Amino acid sequence: MKENTDIKLQQMGNATIMDIRGDITSYSESILKAAFRQTLNQDARKIILKIEKFAYINSGGIALIIQILYQVKENKQIAAIAGLSEHFKKIFDMVGITKFAKIYDTVEEALEGLKG
Amino acid sequence: MDQIKPTNLEKNLYFNNKLQTTDTLIKLYGSIRVMREKAMPTHLNERIIKLSLPNVIGYERIAMASLASFAKMYDFAPDRIEDLKTVVAEAAINAMEHGNQGRPDAQVNIAFQYCDDAIQIIVADQGEGIKKVLPDPDIERIVSEIDPPVGFGLYLIRQLANEVEFNLEVDQGHCLRMVIKKVQA
Repeated sequence: MKENTDIKLQQMGNATIMDIRGDITSYSESILKAAFRQTLNQDARKIILKIEKFAYINSGGIALIIQILYQVKENKQIAAIAGLSEHFKKIFDMVGITKFAKIYDTVEEALEGLKG
Repeated sequence: MDQIKPTNLEKNLYFNNKLQTTDTLIKLYGSIRVMREKAMPTHLNERIIKLSLPNVIGYERIAMASLASFAKMYDFAPDRIEDLKTVVAEAAINAMEHGNQGRPDAQVNIAFQYCDDAIQIIVADQGEGIKKVLPDPDIERIVSEIDPPVGFGLYLIRQLANEVEFNLEVDQGHCLRMVIKKVQA
């Protein structure tokens, strides 16, 4: 089965927004990693993962997001997450993702939060 | 004499839409071993739904959608429905990847049963059961690449479900039994 994931990158100052449309599962690996590599080419210091409220994220998708956060840490970038549903905010907190990337309701709030 | 001891979870198993004690169930089934083999309901009624899925990642969404519809019929709140969707998805993915080891000829059999303000979910594969339950994933170690990024599925199931039991025997395989109560304890 093929995953229906689309990612658009948007630069805002020294932040890059990875606007992830669709679900995040193990099938999203190649598109997610390719998009992240592009943020490195853009020399982005701040990364915002924008995830749709109705996205389905399974354990494979969680593992991918954690791998991205590892790369963020290695590259001395900082990351935030925006737009998740309440359920996945809870799940991300349960698995500890929030220790490495704060979750905001909107991209604007994430940009504001990353200013500090 | 049956040497298999009941687990704590088996002290509250379901039969005929009612919670039953282990003693009652042993009377009904004859032994703990047979009781475990009967974990997958053999009958259907308006409170029991059964599904069979191909062993293909992605088809867990069919179980998620069915279980969400089923839970709505019993007035589960939206947040509990999301918990149900996550546990059945992760259990089905585990059954496909680990239990059935990706075999295309295998299938995943799922049953939902509503009883006493809770839904019991059985997810069965044709594998040999979980040999070793991984410890809870430690994100600090994973992000430092000390540990591999695995174990999230069972971890989430254990966090979200009110009861979880591994390795119950079913025909030609094993199943995972989970219970989610309408109101989170």
